Amino acid sequence: MIKNKLFRSFVTYGLLALMVGFAVFFGLTVFGHTSLRLDEAQSLFQTQRDIPGMLNLVAQDVHVPLYHTLLHFWQLLFGHDIYVARIMSLLFFVGTIIMTYVLATYALGRRSIGLFAAFLVTISPFMNWYGSEARMYTMLAFMSVLHVYFFVRILKQQGSGRWALWTITAILGVYTHYFFIFVLLTELLAVILLRKHFRGEHALRNIIISGALTAASLLPWIFYVYRLGFASNTQPALAEPSAGDLFDTYAQFIFGFQVPGVNTLIVSLWPIVVLLAFFALQRTKKVIPPEATLFVLLAVVPVVGAFIISVTIKPFFLSRYLIVALPPLFIFIAWLLTRYRRWIARTVGIVLVVAVAFLFVIQIASPNTPVKEDYQQAVQYLDENAGPSDVVVLSAPFTIYPVEYYYKGTAKLTTQPIWDRFNQGSVPAYDPAKVEAETKANVGSYQHAFLLLSYDQGYNEKLKDYYDGHYERVAMHTFSPKLVVYEYKIRYDPPVTVDE
Amino acid sequence: MEFLKSVQTSRFLLLLNILLSILYFVCVVALFPIGNWPLFVLLVVSEVFHVWQVFGFIHTVWYRKRVKEFDARFTPDVAVFITVCGEPGDIIESTVIAAKAMKYPNFSIYILNDGKVANRDNWHEAEEIAARQGVTCITRETPGGAKAGNINNATKLTQEPYIVVFDADHEPKPEFLQQTMGYFIDEKVAFVQSPQFYKNADVNQVAGGSWEQQALFFGPLLKGKDSINATFMCGTNMVLRRVALDEAGGMSEKSIAEDFLTSLLIHEKKWKSVYVDKVLAEGLAPEDFLSYYKQQFRWARGSLELLFSYNPFFRRGLTWAQRIQYLSSSSYYLSGIIVLINALLPLTYFFFQLKPLTINTMTLALIFLPYIIVILYTLQITSNFTYTFRALSFSLGSSTIYMKALWATITRRQNAFAVTSKKKVSGNHGKLVLPHLVYIGLVVAGVAWGVFREGWSASMLSNIAWAIIYIAAFLPFISAAFEGSREESKRKKVGKNKDNVTQVEATA
Repeated sequence: MIKNKLFRSFVTYGLLALMVGFAVFFGLTVFGHTSLRLDEAQSLFQTQRDIPGMLNLVAQDVHVPLYHTLLHFWQLLFGHDIYVARIMSLLFFVGTIIMTYVLATYALGRRSIGLFAAFLVTISPFMNWYGSEARMYTMLAFMSVLHVYFFVRILKQQGSGRWALWTITAILGVYTHYFFIFVLLTELLAVILLRKHFRGEHALRNIIISGALTAASLLPWIFYVYRLGFASNTQPALAEPSAGDLFDTYAQFIFGFQVPGVNTLIVSLWPIVVLLAFFALQRTKKVIPPEATLFVLLAVVPVVGAFIISVTIKPFFLSRYLIVALPPLFIFIAWLLTRYRRWIARTVGIVLVVAVAFLFVIQIASPNTPVKEDYQQAVQYLDENAGPSDVVVLSAPFTIYPVEYYYKGTAKLTTQPIWDRFNQGSVPAYDPAKVEAETKANVGSYQHAFLLLSYDQGYNEKLKDYYDGHYERVAMHTFSPKLVVYEYKIRYDPPVTVDE
Repeated sequence: MEFLKSVQTSRFLLLLNILLSILYFVCVVALFPIGNWPLFVLLVVSEVFHVWQVFGFIHTVWYRKRVKEFDARFTPDVAVFITVCGEPGDIIESTVIAAKAMKYPNFSIYILNDGKVANRDNWHEAEEIAARQGVTCITRETPGGAKAGNINNATKLTQEPYIVVFDADHEPKPEFLQQTMGYFIDEKVAFVQSPQFYKNADVNQVAGGSWEQQALFFGPLLKGKDSINATFMCGTNMVLRRVALDEAGGMSEKSIAEDFLTSLLIHEKKWKSVYVDKVLAEGLAPEDFLSYYKQQFRWARGSLELLFSYNPFFRRGLTWAQRIQYLSSSSYYLSGIIVLINALLPLTYFFFQLKPLTINTMTLALIFLPYIIVILYTLQITSNFTYTFRALSFSLGSSTIYMKALWATITRRQNAFAVTSKKKVSGNHGKLVLPHLVYIGLVVAGVAWGVFREGWSASMLSNIAWAIIYIAAFLPFISAAFEGSREESKRKKVGKNKDNVTQVEATA
């Protein structure tokens, strides 16, 4: 009996170690060596200065400062390379895998559910992508899983100590990302809907008090941002999401970032969800545990809530902001399979894992993966082809961060619209009336202009059309989806040679 | 029994069902751009039906407390009728023995033998059993009215003020009368119904599927109907007050679902009904596909007849709640045509690129998924997790039976009352699922044609997914139809092996 138990523990921890090994391997090899991306460049730009300067920059951005503060000290300890910065995200990814296992096993009482949920997190192309991105998203996922773990403990056990841990993790969560608030609101909803299932008394009262404490802890930061007067415009302009974006989010959670054709294929098969729901109709398995309902809420409410707010108030719907819904979604899937008849569960589980693994490979291998931003290659091209008599024009202006990170060339770097980022204030908006004057100011005195377009803010095409209409295009290179360099010949007089 | 456990479904959840159904309906009917008009009209018809079904279901399971009088000391004389029409003798005898063992002071057992008028070879067995067991056998000499006629005939020949009806295969438990008769202390109670439980549910796929369908009906649905005095008789395991039956003109011989129609006629006269949510008798589910098919056809035909010829909506004397319940139950069998409409929609796209709506498939998903998932969840909660995928499959698969019944009802074709066989009818019943197999063939051809025409477009993929759902839902039903031939070939194989072994031994 004891031997059997030991063996099961050995197998469980062995499998968990394999999962961690998988994530670390891909994080350090494949994903860790990809090009720096725009958001990462911003992270480095913000965190490689002193604390007050960093806080000032983060306050201008749409984020809260915990991740940046950690990254600041991480870099002081281990170095300033992007590869090193990404390792911190990888650690949070590993933490998310382990905590998903711990949470699912504890909440639903079966190791198999915990292992399968953790396995789905491990092979998720979405998690692997952000597991090697110097941003706060895997930290957000980790904080939410950790926090939900304490919430489930409150659900299952009595005692006020758990509320203290809940509050501490809630505070850390809201300082990791504003979207952590959706987790707290979902938990409030869960307390209301599942009130009969809470072991301890006064769950509603306690969550209101603890939630108020959490909100109060965020006040200094809100006050700081407000005092600085940053109604920032540095974040990319987001479009109002459509129903397709809502389902894309879930498709991305499970199948990662795929080219539009594959993505269409995935989301168009949505009626299969109905069939999976039908399969859950079984006589043998009885009660739906409240924890399963909690995971459904956590997987649905943040995404749908953000969608509704984005459609009705202000668009801020991005799948990465909603990463808090990913581990609960996988835990729910793992639990749902246990309600199927065994052969159906095995078939669905295998099909799911094979599909995810296949698309994981596609995400890595395909040059057309939509989230890929190959600034490294683009800049290498500029290094090799742009000389001192040429100019490199970047649009959108904030893409100067990743370009600058790699750029060692001799041509001048500028942006259009022209942006002096060392002066406090937001990125200037595109103004058609200024295009002619700004273009002349940017390229007028150079031989060649290299127009690097990426992160379209709605005017890249217009800018390209203007250059096409006024200068001779001599080359065009696409380095990753929507990251293109156009080369224009500006002047025909030979460059002035200065004798030594 | 899990299916009988009390579940008080949250009213919030039930209201959410109605809200999402209406939202979905309004979006489909009024907000989404229309594609092909005839298909759109068909879609609207099917959605009206779905909303009605959801409303009927919610109306049924909405929790209401009903106080019923019960006095265990009330023990009047009871006539126990065991209806027989050529069933195997051992089954009849078991039922008689079980009936004799009922703990109750005043009752007499009568075997109502219809075997002779039905020209069954073994009709005399019932008389032999009666003689052996010391009970009375009433053998009909003049045919007519099928089971209802049999009961009416016996009613005339007996005197007891209360009548219990058991099918030949439904063995009562000793406490049957103790648990039911006490309700008649209320002088307005006309009949008491108890569940029709199948003890052979685990024997094979047909019996299992058949029972799982029943579980929803005898669990939350009849309990809900009981709360609004709308329980109807189910042909067996029931007790009737003779006066109420006489007032309704006896068991109605005008319908092959005599129990259903008679219940309506009794309710019209302001009598009350009671459902006892305890298993007080155990019967046999059909074990072969042909018997299942016939049973479903009979129920569908009877219910549709009631809908068309005795439309509860226009019957005087019924309360509004009773009207809704009778309408909801009888109109259920219109679902055959609705399943056909829905299953054909992917085909119209594959072959003709016709769609009822030209909406983005994701917008449809946004509205449809919450609606269907909440409905399935509610179904699971209210049925105490007894409703299964197989039950769903049998319900959807039976659509061809329901359509056949609808056609027979509309054309007023005469159908004889077919007693559900209590012995397995062996053989291959694959032809009964021929329409389902043709559907699968059409889907395969349609997908090939559609992909050839336009490749793997979003619309193609969505329609393929819908077709897969229908095929997956039909599969257990199709498999059940071939169960008999599978068992037969297995038997032959075993027999062949035995022969071979015998031969080898003989040679040795």
